[in-house]
Amino acid sequence: MALSRSMRTCLHSGRLALLAILVSGGIVLQILACALYNNWWPMLTVLMYLILPMPLIFFLGSDTSMMSNGGDGWVNFTKFLTGASIVGSIAIPSILKHAGVIGWGALTMELSSFVVFGVAILWFLQMNSEDEYSSVF
Amino acid sequence: MDNNNFLAAWPVVAPGIAGAVFGVGWWFWVDAVVCSAAAVPFLHYLPGFFATFAALMFNCVNREDIGDSYYSPYDDSEWRVKLWLFISYVVSFVSLAGAVGFLVQDALTDKGPSAWTGTAGVLQCVFVLVSGLIYWTCHSED
Repeated sequence: MALSRSMRTCLHSGRLALLAILVSGGIVLQILACALYNNWWPMLTVLMYLILPMPLIFFLGSDTSMMSNGGDGWVNFTKFLTGASIVGSIAIPSILKHAGVIGWGALTMELSSFVVFGVAILWFLQMNSEDEYSSVF
Repeated sequence: MDNNNFLAAWPVVAPGIAGAVFGVGWWFWVDAVVCSAAAVPFLHYLPGFFATFAALMFNCVNREDIGDSYYSPYDDSEWRVKLWLFISYVVSFVSLAGAVGFLVQDALTDKGPSAWTGTAGVLQCVFVLVSGLIYWTCHSED
């Protein structure tokens, strides 16, 4: 099914819009987890969310792909930080729940916000690797 | 051919897995400190810090420096690398032993930190050292 060029551009911007909606949905979930219960402790997870997209930010413009055989020290260190921040964004809400600072509802919302962010990042990565074959711009 | 694919993909994901395991180790310890009813004395923090330090230490060496792939009669600095590695091994084993010792002490006495604190300390040491090992396997496969 060969799409015309304008159709492909429309689909691409549609996908970007959906991605933006996903990310804002994640942010809304995160803030709701705090606001609904009037307990602002879960905002600590935002620290982890700041570290999470680091490899994207670093390697979006560079030549070395993330999937290449990582010999570069900084690439490896960034991946290390990503792994640690993924665990951290699951761990902080769990520790808060274990300590009794937040309830089950806030924990569920935090974890679903993390899942939404994860899906958005994975989809963005997939979209980027697709673009290398059919460069729209 | 699944084994081949796994071996090819390992250097790509290994740093991420190492980071995740490292995080698991430290977050277990944070959980134990936060949820502990009794105050955790500073001595109990030491095994975790030393394990992290040891993991950092043995990740500083290049794998090729200790291999005998190249041998030059004028190069006698191999013993320094081996001494560095030896010290890092000693520190890691001592920190592991210390964590186990604290676990036993916590399990035996009622006042002071609970058994979960001791368990978390041991888990922290194990995970941090394992994470250092995983990271080491990836950074010298050029």
